[in-house]
Amino acid sequence: MIAAAWLCLLAPVAGALAITFAGKRLTRRAAGWLSTASVFVAFGGAVVAFFAMVGRETPQRTELSTPFTWLSAGTFHVGMSILVDPVSIVMMLVVSGVGGLIVLYSIGYMDGEDEERRYFAYMAFFVFAMLLLVEGGNLLLLLVGWGLVGLASYLLIGFYHHRPEAVAAAKKAFIMNAIGDATMALGFFLLIAKTGTLEYGASFAAAPHLSSTTVNLVALGLLGGAVAKSAQLPLQTWLPDAMEGPTPVSALIHAATMVTAGVYLIVRTHPIFEQAHHVEDLAAGLGAATLVIAGLIALVQTDIKRVIAYSTMSQIGYMFLGAGLGAYANAMFHLVTHAFFKALLFLAAGIIIHHLAGEQDIRQMGGLKKFMPQTWLAFLIGSLALVGIPPFAGFWSKDALIASALARGGVFGWILLVASLFGALLTGIYTFRLFFRVFYGEPSELVLEHAGSAHGDHEHGAESAMSHSVHSHGEAPFTMALPVAILAVLSTVGGLLQVAGAWHPFGRWIAQTGAPLVEPTTSQDWVISAITVGVGLVGSWIAWAMYRTGRLAVPSVPALQRVFEHKFYFDELYDGLVSRPAQLLAERLRSDVETPYVEGALSEIGRAGGQAGGLVGRMQTGLLRVYAFAIAASLVVLGIVFLAVR
Amino acid sequence: MLTTALIVVPFAAALFLWLVPLPREYAGPFAILAAVVEVGIWIRAAIRFDFSGGLQFSARHNWFADLGVSYHVGFYGFSLWLAGLTVVVCACAIGYGVWAQREHARAYFGLMLFLTGSVVGVFASQDLLLFYAFFEAMLIPLYVLVGVWGGPNRVRATVVFVIYTMVGSLLMLASIVAFGISQHTFSLVDSGTSGNDWIFLGFALAFAVKAPLFPFHGWLRQAYTEASPEVAAVLSGVVSKAAVFGFIMIVLPHFPGPVHDFRTTILVLATIGLAYGSVLAFRQPDIRGVIAYSSLAQMSLIIMGIFAYSWLGMNGAVLQSISHGLVSAAMFLLAGMVERQWGTDSFARLGGAARGRPILATLLLVTGMFTLAVPGSTNFAGEFLILAGIFPVGWGYAAVGAVAIVLAAMYTLRVISAVLHDRGGDAVTPGSPDLRFGQIVLVVPLIACLFALSVWPNAVSGHSKSPPWSNKALRTVLCEGPDGVVWCK
Repeated sequence: MIAAAWLCLLAPVAGALAITFAGKRLTRRAAGWLSTASVFVAFGGAVVAFFAMVGRETPQRTELSTPFTWLSAGTFHVGMSILVDPVSIVMMLVVSGVGGLIVLYSIGYMDGEDEERRYFAYMAFFVFAMLLLVEGGNLLLLLVGWGLVGLASYLLIGFYHHRPEAVAAAKKAFIMNAIGDATMALGFFLLIAKTGTLEYGASFAAAPHLSSTTVNLVALGLLGGAVAKSAQLPLQTWLPDAMEGPTPVSALIHAATMVTAGVYLIVRTHPIFEQAHHVEDLAAGLGAATLVIAGLIALVQTDIKRVIAYSTMSQIGYMFLGAGLGAYANAMFHLVTHAFFKALLFLAAGIIIHHLAGEQDIRQMGGLKKFMPQTWLAFLIGSLALVGIPPFAGFWSKDALIASALARGGVFGWILLVASLFGALLTGIYTFRLFFRVFYGEPSELVLEHAGSAHGDHEHGAESAMSHSVHSHGEAPFTMALPVAILAVLSTVGGLLQVAGAWHPFGRWIAQTGAPLVEPTTSQDWVISAITVGVGLVGSWIAWAMYRTGRLAVPSVPALQRVFEHKFYFDELYDGLVSRPAQLLAERLRSDVETPYVEGALSEIGRAGGQAGGLVGRMQTGLLRVYAFAIAASLVVLGIVFLAVR
Repeated sequence: MLTTALIVVPFAAALFLWLVPLPREYAGPFAILAAVVEVGIWIRAAIRFDFSGGLQFSARHNWFADLGVSYHVGFYGFSLWLAGLTVVVCACAIGYGVWAQREHARAYFGLMLFLTGSVVGVFASQDLLLFYAFFEAMLIPLYVLVGVWGGPNRVRATVVFVIYTMVGSLLMLASIVAFGISQHTFSLVDSGTSGNDWIFLGFALAFAVKAPLFPFHGWLRQAYTEASPEVAAVLSGVVSKAAVFGFIMIVLPHFPGPVHDFRTTILVLATIGLAYGSVLAFRQPDIRGVIAYSSLAQMSLIIMGIFAYSWLGMNGAVLQSISHGLVSAAMFLLAGMVERQWGTDSFARLGGAARGRPILATLLLVTGMFTLAVPGSTNFAGEFLILAGIFPVGWGYAAVGAVAIVLAAMYTLRVISAVLHDRGGDAVTPGSPDLRFGQIVLVVPLIACLFALSVWPNAVSGHSKSPPWSNKALRTVLCEGPDGVVWCK
């Protein structure tokens, strides 16, 4: 089992290195296939490890492997270790499985790009980093994976590096994630100071004995990392901008895997969070706030990818809500199904964008159903799963989370419940607003121009250099169509991993690592399901009423609309609160401190030196005289050399 | 023998270059050969080194027996690593000099080798006067290298640098004499401890200038931007580590009382330097300015680790010294290549260099990621240990460190995107070529070392024994953290 897990971890990095070092000796297409193969090898490793694990008794399902000590100082040791247990194996399967499909899709999508090899090396590197994050056998390695996925995300968001927006978005993502890394590191420092270890087992065992301030602060540090990585309030502003990256990147990193790492973190470190009730509640509260705010912003976005991005933020809000409540299995379940249907939506959107020569503005779309029936079907499945209509995947997982809020009870539980039901309504509206706007109504000129006939070269839109014909295979080449088809199937049947009240293999599987703190009863489950589906249908109906003609893009309620379109002014707030003051501080330090005092200190020192020289002259010890002579001599030598070599 | 060989080989090679009228075109290759031999000797020493033991490869000969002065050299684990850093960085710097075809080759390469030998000598010294001799010997070639082969404002940069370091050296000399006379020996091994604040301050100030520690960094920006890139690489990467050696080898073991009294002052200065350097780096107009202030921040961090009084901080400081030395040298060499290619390292005139130049882009990006200490890098491991070590002393220090992590990301990404990304700058001519093999081989060894250490940072952090602390009280502080966590074995 452990050997397969190591293979799973190392195959993608081997792929990335091979592509890097081969350089131009590898054709672009071969680089794509090599990258895909390395990720599928990882998936194979994960599958083998999974079946090996299933064959064991519960206590033997957790295995830690430490080949060598990565870092040590005194009695503090951190091993280069990987941990395979029921939670990490689920993540490994999702990351490598969905990752493999998306890299495969990229072969078609990125065909003809200038720097395809670089893209595929980055993708394989990302999968490695993400696997390290989920397999890392202690908190420090988790932080290493955490930082490396951030790096991969930076590299891929800024892939089109000649575009200033992409570069700015990449930097923003990296820096906001660095803030999360820093708070996480602070939490770790506190944990080390109090327990002397970052091992999962030892620190979890010590958690109940720590003072409540300590454990709350540690949990807060972890939560800081989680909200940054998962784009939850208040560190959410980087995710929409991250849509500057190629669409498969958005699907893999900013929908299916990396952004859900915050949820994994909370589930993984649940023994710490369970001792820190306030921080748990904070996590759930932030999740609820994010799911509502992101849902509202999604209502007015006009970029197809940004709508889906806000929907991702919103759905991760649900997972945070569940993880904060202690419904670990339900949160993980939604993480898995979300990976399926959100990747599906992004990849389907990618086909549309590809088709329309890089156009991402939904106001330029419309009536695409007629021209792209397969994509229409895929998008419909993804949308139904997202809204939570039975029997699609999202129905089973989202309802379980909302039911957990009901099971939590109390005023806080009710607040969360209302927020998540309101979020479900918003999901229905923005999802089908997008769906109707894109596929129904009158086709726009752009659509007619691109989709009407087979076409050779396009104008380069936002995603440049797609000047090649893809239409010999219908709507998309085989490499793009196959992953979409597989994800569509998974989005349809993936929810059957768990059926409330009847069938709980997934819940039991996760409970081996983290037993749930709240468990909705079957009746609660069914009541919530009925309400949620109802709310989702109402939302979809509203969208139908407003958008089916495809003419209206945004309802006009000017005041609210402005707030939504400015994304609740978070960017402006951070700019005024952090960026500008920091730049001002740097300028002032330079002009008011560094130049006049530190660098200008020379004249002062010159004077002081003169006085000290007099002092030295009075101290007539022999050695000093010798030294003065040596200095004088070396200055003479220096002078001669100066003159000689000029 | 190995230690002496490590010191003598570069000196001998320097003398050979100066005295024997070798044709100019052979001077560079000869210097590279000597530098590579030096690396070989170090590797041999490292293989035979027992990292669990104390002072090794020591050689001792009386010099002025009546004064208690001796030629005593040898290595502890931590100083062996510093010597290793020196030989690798100097070899790459000499290689850069050859590639850049420096004028007056015999004088130039002789000075570079002389510098190498002196720095190795500093790290091997076990006697205070010997240490002083090497310390001064290290400065003379630097003055000439900056003053003669530097940029347009080199003379002013040199004068500032000379004044700063001379003042530091004189104070240190006074301290050495006073300490040696009071101890009746100059041997670092035989001498005991002193409680004299003035003697301590003489040493501390000299090292504070050398590192540099805020606010003694007035020479930093000019020296780092006016020196030729390979000299700046040695200056920031290696020479600054003489301060690390001095603090660990001289100050901590021999001045437990004053260290205890002045510790908070030093920690506060280091914290200010960390924040101050990071903030200033963020608004510098050129690559070298950013590296200069980032070096100020990194050296502050290292000093913070040394004065954290814990194994986490101490081993982290040694690891970070090596990591920072490698990465800042690589960064300076790359900046030099950019300057040479396009005649400027000013951000206003650069940009878009990645397009069509995958090798330059990859190398600069990778080095940048090490500079900002991306998690998983050896620089990250060092920073993490230092900040974990300082946290129990005061969470405020670690909090500033955490802010500095974010600032490091900001200023490094600024460099990367200003050079490689965005729209093309006017200095970046479209047809100008990518890095060639001759340039790649100068930087790749440094980057390879960084990668190797990232896979196994414990090679340094877990194998860097420093001299024993004679004071029992200090040992207790060092070994026992708060809440009864014990750090020493």
